[in-house]
Amino acid sequence: MWPGTWRKVLAGLSPVSGAAVRVVKWLYCPVGKRDTIFALSSGHGKCGVAVIRTSGPASGAALRSLTGQQELPRPRAVALRRIHDPSSAETLDRGLVIWFPGRLPGLRPADPGEFTKRAFQNGKLGLTEVEGLGDLIHAETEAQRRQALRQMEGELGQLYQRWSEELTKALAHVEAFIDFSEDDNLEEGVLSRVDAAVQTLEEEVRGHLQDGRRGEWLRGGVHVVIAGPTNAGKSSLLNLLSWSLNSPLAPRSLCLGQRPAAIVSPVAGTTRDVVESALNIGGYPVVLSDTAGLRETQDAIEREGVSRARERLQRADVVLAVLAAVDVAPEPGCLAEALRAILPPGVPARQAPCVLVLNKADLLEEGRGGALLGACGEGALPPACLLSCKTGEGVDSLLSLLGTQLEQMCGDPLAGSPSLTQARHRLHLTSCLGSLGRYHGYKSLDLVLAAEELRLARRHLGKITGRVSAEEILDIVFRDFCVGK
Amino acid sequence: MFLLRRRRALPPAPLPCCRRAGSDGTAPRWDVLVIGGGHAGTEAAAAAARSGVRTLLVTHKADTIGQMSCNPSFGGIGKGHLMREVDALDGLCARICDQSGVHYKVLNRCKGPAVWGLRAQIDRKLYKENMQKEILNTPLLTVHEASVEDLLLMEPEPDRPGKCQVSGVILGDGSRIHAGSVILTTGTFLRGMVFIGLKMHPAGRLGDQPSIGLAQTLEKLGFSVGRLKTGTPPRLAKDTIDFSVLERHMADNRPVPFSFLNEAVWIKPEDQLSCYRTLTNAKVEQIIHDNLHLNNHVRETTRGPRYCPSLESKVLRFPNRIHQLWLEPEGLDSNIIYPQGMSMTLPPELQEQVIACIRGLEKAKMVQPGYGVQYDFLDPRQLSASLESRLVQRLFFAGQINGTTGYEEAAAQGVIAGINAGLRVSGKPPFIISRTEGYIGVLIDDLTTLGTNEPYRMFTSRVEFRMSLRPDNADSRLTLRGFEEAGCVSQQRYAQTSRLKAALEEAITVLKSLQFTATKWSRLIPEAPISTSRSSLTSALDILQYPEVTMELLARAIPEPLRKFAEWRELAERLKIEAVYEWHVASQQQEIEEVRRDEALQLPEDLDYFAIDASLSQEVREKLDSNRPQTIGAVSRIPGITPAAIVNLLRFVKTNRQRTEHIEHSRIGRASPEGNTFGKSKFQNSSLSCTS
Repeated sequence: MWPGTWRKVLAGLSPVSGAAVRVVKWLYCPVGKRDTIFALSSGHGKCGVAVIRTSGPASGAALRSLTGQQELPRPRAVALRRIHDPSSAETLDRGLVIWFPGRLPGLRPADPGEFTKRAFQNGKLGLTEVEGLGDLIHAETEAQRRQALRQMEGELGQLYQRWSEELTKALAHVEAFIDFSEDDNLEEGVLSRVDAAVQTLEEEVRGHLQDGRRGEWLRGGVHVVIAGPTNAGKSSLLNLLSWSLNSPLAPRSLCLGQRPAAIVSPVAGTTRDVVESALNIGGYPVVLSDTAGLRETQDAIEREGVSRARERLQRADVVLAVLAAVDVAPEPGCLAEALRAILPPGVPARQAPCVLVLNKADLLEEGRGGALLGACGEGALPPACLLSCKTGEGVDSLLSLLGTQLEQMCGDPLAGSPSLTQARHRLHLTSCLGSLGRYHGYKSLDLVLAAEELRLARRHLGKITGRVSAEEILDIVFRDFCVGK
Repeated sequence: MFLLRRRRALPPAPLPCCRRAGSDGTAPRWDVLVIGGGHAGTEAAAAAARSGVRTLLVTHKADTIGQMSCNPSFGGIGKGHLMREVDALDGLCARICDQSGVHYKVLNRCKGPAVWGLRAQIDRKLYKENMQKEILNTPLLTVHEASVEDLLLMEPEPDRPGKCQVSGVILGDGSRIHAGSVILTTGTFLRGMVFIGLKMHPAGRLGDQPSIGLAQTLEKLGFSVGRLKTGTPPRLAKDTIDFSVLERHMADNRPVPFSFLNEAVWIKPEDQLSCYRTLTNAKVEQIIHDNLHLNNHVRETTRGPRYCPSLESKVLRFPNRIHQLWLEPEGLDSNIIYPQGMSMTLPPELQEQVIACIRGLEKAKMVQPGYGVQYDFLDPRQLSASLESRLVQRLFFAGQINGTTGYEEAAAQGVIAGINAGLRVSGKPPFIISRTEGYIGVLIDDLTTLGTNEPYRMFTSRVEFRMSLRPDNADSRLTLRGFEEAGCVSQQRYAQTSRLKAALEEAITVLKSLQFTATKWSRLIPEAPISTSRSSLTSALDILQYPEVTMELLARAIPEPLRKFAEWRELAERLKIEAVYEWHVASQQQEIEEVRRDEALQLPEDLDYFAIDASLSQEVREKLDSNRPQTIGAVSRIPGITPAAIVNLLRFVKTNRQRTEHIEHSRIGRASPEGNTFGKSKFQNSSLSCTS
């Protein structure tokens, strides 16, 4: 199974987007009014079978929309169903569905251990079922923790952590205002400072949501664009990558590269259109695009090809800049200039990472390859590698460079579930933003309601960064204000 | 035995079933014995007596019953909430305050009714008089003046946690009194130490003796003890203060009573006294800084609170600032002013210097110096949510001895301990208020689950469900339960609350059913800025949310059927509040139910967390052992407990329950009742066989 498929289903369940399964277990919990929760119940990472489980009143509605059928399957019987993306109706996969009936809105991702707890609450969980679950949950949360920790080291983690601190402080100051402003002298302007802080936070979160593309990358693939001058070997590179990844170990669906995807010829300007190939590089879904060689040309069709190449470059997530190693001098200046010809300032639109591929290494004289790499190292140039599309030599180092790049961008999909995490993040950040917006609305009406919105915002952010207790809020209150009698 | 007064001289009756004779062969004389006559003690004794058990209150000095030992005020933000809840359980302090206040004020008026803080300056003398009158007139309650030296102990009841059980007390004169349950409310008297400057001497309040014997007994029994410090400001002579230069703060001109039973307070609004505000200055700061070496209390290492209880801590932690001081009257005919915020422990002559450099106090005479108190408290994590100790059966603790500060916090615990001590004697299940039901629940859950390392004070920010747990609705949350489950609520109050609750529900149904288009609403109520862009129908309850809209306004627009609701003033005010929070309360309901479900998953009280065969880390085991959570809900609130640990714990307890049930089944020949109580079935069964 495409490792991203269950992620797609989960993403489809979350109010964010996209959905498929091998087995979907719909569990009904009979007690009281409650949320509908969902989670991947099987292990994370690549696996042949994934089990996705939901529980709660909206489970039936979720199942109907995912299967695109009005009728629910016969209760407690396994049924084969096509799984659709509820929003686009696109078929994602086919899978087995089991329906454990109950009553029927609102879905949210399950907290760690929540399924087990519910089963306990309902007295439904037998001992054998519970055996091992704790460890599984432990593994899951451990992985999440490790992932969180790793992200903590990255800028994303630092960003969330900073937001969390600012929001907690804003909340603590509103709480101080509620509990102490009448008796103790809080300085002037506590609330207006909170307003400003909340506003800044809103802007940042909003910007981040529009910008944070990791989840999308993992769902839709990272767009890697091969660009470079004509006859540098771009199409050969596309074919080479497609071929070399077409091993029996890689799932079939991943490789379109059964046959050469791009036409290769010694004639400069052979590639006129953008040729795409879907690949799996180190577990990351990648859409690799070969583009027309960049040069000024009188040929109308080729000109169109070049303009499409530039357009594609603008939207690239990663650029593979291909140069013929024999055409560049081993000096940082020359290399930089060649690179600028492919990627003038402002291209691509976002600061997409770049990998420099020095092709035709087989044609190099002895020692020149090392000199080229050395020059790249000196000149603050992107990571570079020597490669020969003809012999296939160097493809491993390119894949490893790309893999590192992808890992930096998307996180490690084998060590947790980044797309779920990302979908979760997106959901919680969106909810957080909603609450921050309502804070302003309620402020003039009732400060308790406004504070509640900050609390909710904090709760949502806390699902990513960790819970904050009332005591920690009080710590800030007593640190920042002279209160108490 | 010197009986101060007994209204009904009832003969000692045999006690309810299921209790054995005392160690010396005589039946216990009292059902509940309360040690201490402070705010926790009086509420505990009265609550026990209200719920129908014979109660004895033992105090050092009967004359100190109802004494407000520190500030002359009751209530405030969070604390007012507690008082409302105490009142909803028919407790005393709210009603006594309605008879004794001299300055009533609702704090936080502009911040939303969920955090309105009812507060009053109280006439100390009146409060004490009224409280003593109340206590001495409470049926089934007797007061005895004596010091308590020791506890009478005997073998524990089997199948319950605890190494022994209390069966009474030994008094200072060596005599014994037997009781079914004992409640300890000795405040700061356990090894109390008073600090003024470099001098220190053992005492509780200034001039009272500390209870050293009792402290030693508790320590010998294995209670873990912590030490806290608190303080009180100097007192000033009113006629030596120049109020003309100070900022005057008037009381509300329509005082809001604390008690649900009262429509008005005793004092005429215009007869109320004022408070005054003055400020510290650089000179004050200088004196404090220059004399730190003369200030043992401040230099001491005993852990102080994070907040600033004393002038010294304010100055040290927030230097170069001006701090507020409130001059509060101590009573109608009292010449004493209580300077709130001026608590200090400098030597008296330096305190006088500090006072003299404050505006308005230049010539003020210090009647009594400020002083610090350090005292023992018992780690409240040794108590269950009923406030019964897990070490010694039938021994309850309430008030400052559990690490809290404040009259209201003490009173709240007192009511709960009193009720439960009575229920324990009658063999009934304990009366527990969940943190989803009241501030009292939050207070007790925080204390018994997390403990404290500073005097615990109530703040509204501690309460997760603040929008639901409001001062206005404490009665509908607690009164009916108090009547039905604890028997501590009078018939009259029960009837009143039932009537109001029914009316509220009816009115809300009516308001929800009145639905019109926004256009029609804006025509009916032009005062409200109703957006006419909404296409769906809007209910009258939604319209009532607008700040501009009142029930009166609604009833004017739609007299039928709304007039009758609008004319009932209290109902109309409460409807308005309900409307404001309706949406949020409803959406919080889900969260509340989740907490309740977690709280329904009970853990056995005697679990040995170090020995159990569950996959738990040593750190988690230590935390569970020291906090002794009673439910999975409580486990989840302990910092550092992971979801995985919770699940592993659940698994263990589930296994354990099945095993226990199997044993029980084969032993008594029937299945134990199914329920969510894990591992507890053996306790339930044995208490069943005991009562039948």
